Amino acid sequence: MNQKIKIDTVIRAGLMVLCMMLFSAVTPAVAGDTLNYRLKWLFNTSVAGDIIADTGGFFKNAGLDVSVNEGGAGKNAIKELELGYANFGVASADQVIRALEKGADVVVLAQLFQVNPMQWIYRSDQPEIKGLSDLKGRHIGVTFGGNDETIMNTLLAKAGLTSKDVRISSVRFDFTPFLKKEVDVWPVYRNSQGVILEDRLAAEGEQVKFFNPADYGVSFVANSVVTSGTMMKKHPETVKAFMTALLSAWEFAVNPANESQVLAQIKKKDKGTKDDIRQKQLKATRPLIKPDKGTKIGTIDVRAWQQTERIMVKEQQIMAPVDVTSRLVGPKKQS
Amino acid sequence: MLFRRIYQFLIVYCLGVVGLLTVKYAAGLSNYVIPGLALIFDTAHRMLAGYFLDVLNTLSVTVLGQMISIFMAFFVGIIGRKSSWAGSFIKVMAYNIQAYPIVALAPIIFILLGDGFLSRLLIASMICYFPLLLSVLGIMASPIKDIEHFYIATGRMRWQLEVKIRAFENLNKLTTVIAGSATLAMAGTIVAEFIAADQGIGYSIRIALYQSDLARILVALFSIGIIISVYQGILETVGEQMKTKWFAPKGGDLI
Repeated sequence: MNQKIKIDTVIRAGLMVLCMMLFSAVTPAVAGDTLNYRLKWLFNTSVAGDIIADTGGFFKNAGLDVSVNEGGAGKNAIKELELGYANFGVASADQVIRALEKGADVVVLAQLFQVNPMQWIYRSDQPEIKGLSDLKGRHIGVTFGGNDETIMNTLLAKAGLTSKDVRISSVRFDFTPFLKKEVDVWPVYRNSQGVILEDRLAAEGEQVKFFNPADYGVSFVANSVVTSGTMMKKHPETVKAFMTALLSAWEFAVNPANESQVLAQIKKKDKGTKDDIRQKQLKATRPLIKPDKGTKIGTIDVRAWQQTERIMVKEQQIMAPVDVTSRLVGPKKQS
Repeated sequence: MLFRRIYQFLIVYCLGVVGLLTVKYAAGLSNYVIPGLALIFDTAHRMLAGYFLDVLNTLSVTVLGQMISIFMAFFVGIIGRKSSWAGSFIKVMAYNIQAYPIVALAPIIFILLGDGFLSRLLIASMICYFPLLLSVLGIMASPIKDIEHFYIATGRMRWQLEVKIRAFENLNKLTTVIAGSATLAMAGTIVAEFIAADQGIGYSIRIALYQSDLARILVALFSIGIIISVYQGILETVGEQMKTKWFAPKGGDLI
């Protein structure tokens, strides 16, 4: 009998501990604790500024204790903000807009990529894509359900083309269909996969070109720094300190004068990439983050956000407008 | 049997949804993290018909993959039942290969065969083949001494008879293993579609994940659960009928 009571007590205590753990996990951290910063993807040159902010001591100098965490396919910074696992994060514009549609409390602090790195690669021996009508008859790769599908649909609609005028193929994790010339135009992140593919084909004596949707008036916003509305309201000083440190780190990271230091720091986090590729990736990242000297890193391009929202409504990615501009709280681009 | 499978699934599914909703309302989470009931119903209204077709597409590959696996498992199991050198070799090979996570080979299969039907079929077959093979080998390699002794002593034992005796005596086990392997084949097909295919429910789940849409994933899981329950129920019913037929030969009574 006594043993039964003991087991019962142990089970109850275990359940209580489990409940306490669950609820402590969903309690947002406050200033003074370690701040968690969830990136969108794995550590690589695309997140040079985020790496430098951490390893270069920018956060520390601002009096912040920040844990910069890798992202990945299953990671979603906005969900983590809400669950209290992260205080800041990087999310793409479509993630922000989808989250707002479903009632998430998220605000945009800075737009990291001024130019969307999502572009299409094609071989130079193919007819050059000088206008959108040149897409006609091409075999184009898209990730169904991904950003690139939405962007390509918009481009085709803009050109007055339908899906019958082109051949669309589903893109998967490897480049084999493009390397085997089964698909002509392949979506890549210009500053990461784009560099790798360009290098690989150059080794085979092939040259490539990139097709950038922004050149044809489709500016679909990519990665931005986000936090929760609650964090913004309750700890504005922490948010300000975090953003100042982060954007200073990005300024440092894209400055060509600091290249060797920056590459050395990236190498510590991204050991799987070759040195020359990392260098080319950093070179390709600079104009996407800071297209010209006058651009302040992190500036929010409100028009591009509005266009992204319009595209998503038109493509039925969201059912109704969400007024995304009301959630853009960082410094905005002067039109 | 069929209805028992379905309502068992419905109970588990509803408990899962209730659990999610409890967390949602306890922690005050938005529909983006955990969708509310209204959003789940709205998504189901829009997506359920399409997802059912996707699951049927997946099921068609599953059934074919499972049939190939069953055929292969019996073929190899019958050859490997002997305690000869070849039989021992097959058994050791099967035990060692099944220990390897077959899913890890999926990327290689997709690179070599592309993302069409063949890749899905191969992965589905491979995932349910090895567990099936081990069971069939185990059954076929265990003599039913009481019965077999009579045929051996009278010189009437042939390999076909030996296989029949062992299958008959282990019919319950075989039926359970085959019905269970349906889940494995389905899981294999879904994994294949999730990784790289451009059809089927795994592919639809991948798209929903891209868009962080848990409501769609819940609807997809519902479709998968209902259809796999029906399929397993049918397999079990067929197994029961086979048993009844075997145990009651023409003109005879049930034993």
